[in-house]
Amino acid sequence: MAHAVDHDPRVTLVTLDADPLDPAAVLAAVGARAAGGNVLFVGTVRDVTGDVATTRLEYEAHAPLARAELARLCSAAADCFDLVAVAVSHRLGVVEPGDASVVVAASAAHRREAFAAAEWLMERIKATVPIWKCDHAPDGGRSWVHGQASAERGP
Amino acid sequence: MPVPDVPPTTGSLDVALFAGMAEAAGRRRVTLAWSGGTVADLRRRLAAACPEIAPLLERSAVARGDRYATDGEPIAVGDDVALIPPVSGG
Repeated sequence: MAHAVDHDPRVTLVTLDADPLDPAAVLAAVGARAAGGNVLFVGTVRDVTGDVATTRLEYEAHAPLARAELARLCSAAADCFDLVAVAVSHRLGVVEPGDASVVVAASAAHRREAFAAAEWLMERIKATVPIWKCDHAPDGGRSWVHGQASAERGP
Repeated sequence: MPVPDVPPTTGSLDVALFAGMAEAAGRRRVTLAWSGGTVADLRRRLAAACPEIAPLLERSAVARGDRYATDGEPIAVGDDVALIPPVSGG
């Protein structure tokens, strides 16, 4: 379900739910005649990290706060990088290796700003948005990932 | 029985837990008796009431509604409060 982004028309799509992600739809959401650079980032689940195998990831979120943070980050990215439009979709629930867990799209007059915005947004999403992954291993073991430093407070 | 002049300011506070913190506590919600205080007070009360979450609590943010809250902010009875352990989205 799309989150209504009340006050920033540049933030064209924010979703956080258990539906499979549609990168083409996220890219289409930032399309505009004023944009000359359109960047699409698709984060997918890896089946191995170092030499540790992952059979699947399970995502959980504080959904109202996560949607609000995603919308605020998108709005901040639009300000910082002079974007025409920006959109983000993140999965919840079980995601299999190879499947997309997060999609970010940014459009700007020129490519440099769009690339920089997508990179910045991914960094901020991973640092501050209240979403967690649980790693499921081949032996049936599972562990929540809380490895990073304490969640920072805002962009 | 006398009727109090002032409505009661004491009550309970539900604090939502997520991910590894919910798993450590064996529940998704901790309920404290609460008569007001700051986020810092809430952290101390939670660490005492629920020692199994104390290690992650030190590395967690506190959210009220759809915003992160700083340690000096007041928390009132009825506020929508959650603990946010280190995040791992993406």
